[in-house]
Amino acid sequence: MHLDRIVLRGFRNLRDLDHLLPPEGVVFLGPNAQGKTNFLEAIGYPVLFRALRGATDAEVTGFGGPGFRLEAIFHDGDRSRTAEVTYTAGNRRKRIMLDGAPVARLSEAVGAWVAVAFLPRDVALAGGPATERRQYLDRMLSLASTDYLRALARYRAALAQRNAALRQGQEPLARAFDAPLAAAGSEVTALRLRWVAGAADRFAEGFASLGEHGPTGLSYRTDAALADPAGWADALQRVRNRDLGRGMTTIGPHRDDLVLTVDGRSLRDFGSTGQLRSAAIALRLLELTTIEEARGVPPALLLDDVFAELDSDRQARLADRLLAQRVGQVFVTAPRRDELPAGLQLPIWSVHQGVVTGAA
Amino acid sequence: MRAIEALVTELARLPGIGRKTAQRLTFHLLQQGPEESSRLARALDTVATTVRACAECGYVAEEERCEFCRDARRDAGLICVVEEAASVQAVERSTEFRGRYHVLGGRLSPLDGIGPESLRIDSLLERVRGGGVREVILATNPSMEGEVTATYLHQVLAGEGLRVTRLARGLPMGGDLEYVDGVTLAHALLARQDIVG
Ligand SMILES: [Zn+2]
Repeated sequence: MHLDRIVLRGFRNLRDLDHLLPPEGVVFLGPNAQGKTNFLEAIGYPVLFRALRGATDAEVTGFGGPGFRLEAIFHDGDRSRTAEVTYTAGNRRKRIMLDGAPVARLSEAVGAWVAVAFLPRDVALAGGPATERRQYLDRMLSLASTDYLRALARYRAALAQRNAALRQGQEPLARAFDAPLAAAGSEVTALRLRWVAGAADRFAEGFASLGEHGPTGLSYRTDAALADPAGWADALQRVRNRDLGRGMTTIGPHRDDLVLTVDGRSLRDFGSTGQLRSAAIALRLLELTTIEEARGVPPALLLDDVFAELDSDRQARLADRLLAQRVGQVFVTAPRRDELPAGLQLPIWSVHQGVVTGAA
Repeated sequence: MRAIEALVTELARLPGIGRKTAQRLTFHLLQQGPEESSRLARALDTVATTVRACAECGYVAEEERCEFCRDARRDAGLICVVEEAASVQAVERSTEFRGRYHVLGGRLSPLDGIGPESLRIDSLLERVRGGGVREVILATNPSMEGEVTATYLHQVLAGEGLRVTRLARGLPMGGDLEYVDGVTLAHALLARQDIVG
């Protein structure tokens, strides 16, 4: 995946721009809050058509502005493609075009452009609540497999309807949504389980490559019966009263967790800050290989201030791991040149008060 | 101008019509002159005052009962249940169906506050209990909510001593019946299956 050109209007604090991007990538250098991370966010936006760090489109819109426009022209292998987003703040409408044609559903455009982002907040992947890891799984597997993306969309739709019926106390109506919930939910669960089965060794390898010690574990916590649509009827029956009482569905992939361990102990509960950071990076490395294998091309890499968080040993190991024999495009932000790992050979652009300079 | 703005706003409320199209339609009407606009206005007015829901099946009617419910050659023992009146036209257009209809007026969607009480389910039960109905064909749309509505209706109709069938699988998921091509729809109706479970 190579981003050839990006056009931005009214995006965050960035001055309107239209830049060609070098095939190897760019380092965005500048003090904090000047816009370098916003540039990275713009590059990551057309992956899922929402902000990397969970910001709303209204927040992405430049202060007091009428909306924003983003156009990304990129290569997927040999194929040249265009993704365009226009967001109008007034009516909160978002229009997405792929290769010049409007898309009817967001899912048609998701994953045309693929980038994997390493963010400072990623430490929450290892140390935060289960919802962080479910989002991680959903994002990665949706980009790797259209089957997953479709099953997840169907699951969320069935879950929202069933929960609404439960909130309204309409038991027979809620029950009518059991079948679509089971069909989609078992597919999501099975695909997650299949991924975890192949990922545990790689997680251990990634964790160790950052200089960490100790045997690691990566497992998926669920009710094993839920990987089979036939297992749902009994499982839902067992929790029916609880679901009605709470007004929500209390079992299913939206309640599961990805459990990380070191030396047999939960990383989340017992891991040191350094271990949590390494584990989070190991998960991102897994995301990278999972998507690359599924798509056949390396995703672009977005590294937001990642190196500054690490000691020099881990920094060097990560840089080595990510940049040594890569063919993909890499975008890096850093506050200062001396916080970049040695050997990072990329053009440097500077970002000050929303103005990007240094571009060709 | 307020008058133009009012018309654009009304047109833009119609399904499938955005603001831009509404503006184009408005200016088209203005260009055509007052005759054209008045004819459209009269047609709308006539529809609004003379057309209502059929007391029997819920389809559009200009009298107490619709053309199908009044047609004695139509098999009253066979009822095709659809979500909207537009589906009736799709079935009429592309199939040899010679029974009667029942228009629910929507599909179950708790998120939108549409439960069983919001649909014409009671009147369907009444028709069935009135006797003479051999089979109910559930022809709700091939979407999750359409499937769920069919499941729910099947539960409601179970024990009424009649055959309950569903359109054969294979219709494109997520669409409305009215957009399914005629051959596919005709086949789905012919190959309809008994619901089990
Ligand atoms: Zn009628």
